[in-house]
Parts: sequence; structure tokens; C-alpha cells
Amino acid sequence: MNYFFKSFLLGAATVLVPAVAAPAQDGLDWSVKGFVDTYHAVRTESPVDWMASRTRVRGEFKLDYKECGAFVSANLVYNALLKDQSGFQLREAYAYWGNPHWDIRAGKQIISWGVADGLRVTDLISPMDYTEFLAQDYDDIRIPVGALRVRFIHDFWNLEAVAVPVAKFFKLPTDPSNPWSVGPLPPEVKPDPVPKNMEYGARFSCFLGGIDFSLMALRTWSKMPELQGDHIGYHRLTVIGGDLSIPFGNFVFRGEIADNIDDDGHHQGNVLGGLDWYPGADWNLSAQFNQIFGAGEHSSLATLRISKALLNNSLTLSTFAYVDVKDGGVFNRLSADWAATDQIHATLGFDLFYARGGMFTHYAHNSEVWVKLKYCF
Amino acid sequence: MKKLAMMAALLLAAATSNAQSGRDIIERVKNRPDGDTRYAEMQLTLVKKNGDKRERKMVSWAMDQGKDTKKIMFFTYPGDVKGTGFLTWDYDQVGKEDDKWLYLPAMKKTRRISGASSKTDFFMGTDFTYDDMGGRNVDEDTHTLLREEMKDGHKCWVVESVPKDSHEIYSRKVSWIRQDCDTAVYVEFYDKLDKLHRLMTVEDIQKVDGFWTVMKTEMKNVQNGHSTQITVTGPKYDVDVDKNLFTVAKLEKGL
Repeated sequence: MNYFFKSFLLGAATVLVPAVAAPAQDGLDWSVKGFVDTYHAVRTESPVDWMASRTRVRGEFKLDYKECGAFVSANLVYNALLKDQSGFQLREAYAYWGNPHWDIRAGKQIISWGVADGLRVTDLISPMDYTEFLAQDYDDIRIPVGALRVRFIHDFWNLEAVAVPVAKFFKLPTDPSNPWSVGPLPPEVKPDPVPKNMEYGARFSCFLGGIDFSLMALRTWSKMPELQGDHIGYHRLTVIGGDLSIPFGNFVFRGEIADNIDDDGHHQGNVLGGLDWYPGADWNLSAQFNQIFGAGEHSSLATLRISKALLNNSLTLSTFAYVDVKDGGVFNRLSADWAATDQIHATLGFDLFYARGGMFTHYAHNSEVWVKLKYCF
Repeated sequence: MKKLAMMAALLLAAATSNAQSGRDIIERVKNRPDGDTRYAEMQLTLVKKNGDKRERKMVSWAMDQGKDTKKIMFFTYPGDVKGTGFLTWDYDQVGKEDDKWLYLPAMKKTRRISGASSKTDFFMGTDFTYDDMGGRNVDEDTHTLLREEMKDGHKCWVVESVPKDSHEIYSRKVSWIRQDCDTAVYVEFYDKLDKLHRLMTVEDIQKVDGFWTVMKTEMKNVQNGHSTQITVTGPKYDVDVDKNLFTVAKLEKGL
């Protein structure tokens, strides 16, 4: 009861704050937007316990003055299950400066590269937060990094250079009270925060009639913790890769490729091919296949996304599945989203886990039903 | 002699008018002067049969490059789609697919989307297809001038247009085109069974900066009772915009 009362207060406080925006006066322009959402999930098999129960307020503030500006995004969270996840969380906070031909962005930001959907081939800078595995909104899974980004912009191409002084790494849940916990891990040893350990890279992208493509090079780290003797740690990587998108008729082909080279000269290939189909009538289908090979690792993942909008986009039915092809496992998120009003969405979903082995084994008994209410302002 | 000359001139004018084909008229509509660049704010009001309303607001810029057009638009309301952007490079050439990109701020990613299929999809839950919003090539339909008649006090051409591609969502449309401003002010869309499906009515048309501008349009689906109104505010023509506005980089940067 106490939790729901707190959730109500949190929500009511935000409802009373309308979305505001000020028109440009002497070049100054600012806006505030955000949402309140409450999400609750329960396991569908024994012991039928709560898997998640949280409410949050997201606020986003944007300020523009002539050729520069700032953006701040933050959460205020009440998490009934994971107390250390409650409180104020600064998501992004960066300043920018530029004109139509170049721009600079400095601060805490999410950097997103590549054309893959929910899989990582060249999109390696912002790591993933697996506190609730993949059962969160995608923008909550990405971890912002403190970075400097410079872009040169032309009609048909961009050149983007990025430097991350202190790298960020995957966040894995170890709290035993978390149903998504991976269990206790040895002590973590992160790279020293010194200039020689910084991440840096560049991406050249072309957007042409009938094809987009990018080439990238990145000096980075393996971001997933790995056992290194008595501790978990990370190793240096140089990644060279690229991506492309080619529309043809009702389809768009997407592809990404990367060569991950460690400092001992071992190569690991990462290849993805995807096909999006837009058959019309608000149907959307997308399939991807991802293969990692070399350097002692081999994995095959596939994804399938199907969505259909109904009732003039008031109701959206969708399903998104990760399939562990090599080891036999599935994580499928099925949802129905109803836009009750312009501001209020209600979503009902079912997450199915099935595993004979491989990456979903640990969560084989985590199938859940969930409900989310969201008010946007 | 003077009377004879006048009669000859009138006959010539009439003959010229009659010789104008349906295609010529649709081309006049397509080529109606609208400046080299354009800016507008739009409010889309979706009305259910029971009267419930939903709203979408957006801003858009467009730039002509020869017969092709580049457009960029951003949603500003409601909050869950605010910041979502579309970039389109519309090609006039028949058979050449448009280039389209969609930016979803929550994903922080731009997606290339199909330029072919979305033309006949309904735009963001409205009753307008992407094609209705502009960009359809004149030769994608066969046009026939049916007659001339008065409509709401204005002399109009009535033109029937039949798609050459059988996959289009309508079997034919009949347009009433005002002769004084080369604008379709009333259009009937018929479904595959040749039943009336949608009705488009222009409710307000004004001259802005010397260019005829449709300020308010309604599209009503007569089969399910749903309708959409588009209201344009603050249109501007020949605005000073950089060609780099119509790039993926700008799409990702947002407003």
C-alpha cells in the first residue's frame, strides 16, 4: 500500500507540471518534456513472484541559444524490489555547439552506431545495463558515456570522431534479491582511468540515393566482464567494421560487419544480416541473423520482429524474439500497446524464456507477464 | 470584322481549353508555384466516429531540387512521439523509389525505411496516405477530364485518375480542381470494389506570400466514420534554408 501511495504521489506531482516550451526570444529557446511510467511484472511459473515493480519520472530539458545548447535527461525512480535502483539517476547531460556543417557535443551521452536492431556489431561505445536483462525499454538498457563527439556534415556524408576518456562497461546484476541476478562475481578490476586507456574512434557515413553505408574504426575495450584469474576484467580491442542499408521495393536489407582484434593479434569476426519488410497496412516485419566466430568463440543469434498497428494507430501489437540458434534458446517479448489518449499509454505484455542451453539458460524460468502505464508530458 | 476576330479568339480559347487533357490539368496542379523552399507548422486532428479526438503536431521544411523535392519533418506533439523525424527525398521520375529515413529519439538511431511501400500506408494513424501528403508523380495514374462544373461557387475541372499500379489502395479517384488556383478542393477516393472510401475536402485556401496555400483540409473515411483534419499555420515560402537541413545529421540533431 505504501508503495502504491508513493507511486501515486510521484505521478501526481508530474501530472501537475505541464509540458512547457518557450519560443525563441533573442535566440533563447528551451523546452521540457518527459513521462511518468509504472511497470510491474510477475513470474508465470513457480514461485509466481514479482520480477519487477518500479515507477519513475523521466524529465528531459533542452536549451538552445543561437549555435549552442544543452540537453539533460534524468530519472526519479522508486523501485520496490531493488532498493539501490531507487532515487535520482542522471541519464544524459551534454552541451553542444555547431552549425549545419559541423557540430561538437561534450558530456554524458548515448552514442549509437550501426544499423542493427538490438544486437551489437559496430555499436560498441555505449554499453548495456543488464540489471533486468533485456526486459526493459531499449533506451534504458544503453549506458551513457562521458564523451567528446565532433561531426563534419556534408549533403551526402558525415565524418564523426569520438573520444571517451574513461570507458564504461556492461552492468550485470549480482544482488541476490534481483530475479535477474547472474549470481556472485569475483572482484572487478577496471582499467586505470589514464589517457592511454581512453576509447577513441571515427565513423564515416554516406547517405546516397538507394544505399547508405558507413566505415568505422574504434580503439575500445571488451565491455562484457570476463574471468581473468581471480578477478573479472576487460581487454583492449581494436575494431574495424562497417554497415550498410539498401532499400529495394517493400524491403530494406541491412548488414554490419566487424573485425575485433585484441592486442595479441587474435581476430574475432562479427557479421549481421537483416531484412525489413514493409508490406503495407501498418504491418512491419524484420529478421536478423548474427554470427560471431574466431578467437575461441562461436555464437549464432537471430531476431524476429513483427508489429501491426490497428485502429488508426491506437493499438499496436508487436513481438520481438531473440533466438539462440547455436544452443537452442528463445527470449520473446510479446506486447499490446493501447494509446488511451494522446498522453496515456497502457501496455500489456508477456516475456517468454525457453532454453535448452546457452545464453538464456540462466533465465529459463523467468517467463513473466507485465503491465505498464505511461503518461507523457 | 472586329466581331469576327473576337469570335475567333473566343473559339480559339475554348478550343484550347477543351484540348486540355486530364493529364495537363493534374500537371498544372502539380506544378502550381510554391516557391523553391517552404516551411509550415501543421496540426493533425484525428476524430473517431464517436467524436473522440487525438492530435499530432509537426513542423516541416521542403526544398525543390529540379523536379525532385527534399523534405524534413519533426513531430512536436504528443510527448511520446516528440522528436521523431522523417527525412524524405522525393523523386519525380516514375519507377525511382523515394529515399526515406526515420529517426526515433528513444532508440537514438536513424533507420532507412522502404520508399516504396510507405507511399500507400496511412500517415501516423491519420486518414491521409503518404501519397496524399504530396509527391505522387503525374504519370503514376491515367487521368481523364470528365467535365467542368461549379463547386461551392468556383468553376472546377472534374478529373478522374486511375492508378496504373493495381497494388494502390484506391481503384480510382475523382478530383474537383478549382480553375482559379489549380488546386484540388474536393476528392473522392474509391476502394477496390469501386465503393466510395474516403472524401477529401479543402475547407480553407488562401494566398500567402503570393502562393495559393491550402490552410485546412479534411479527409473522411466514409466507411468507418474516422476523419482527419490538417490545419496549417505560419506557412512561409522561399525561406532561407541550408541544403544541409535535409540530411540524416540534422534528422538526428532534431529541432
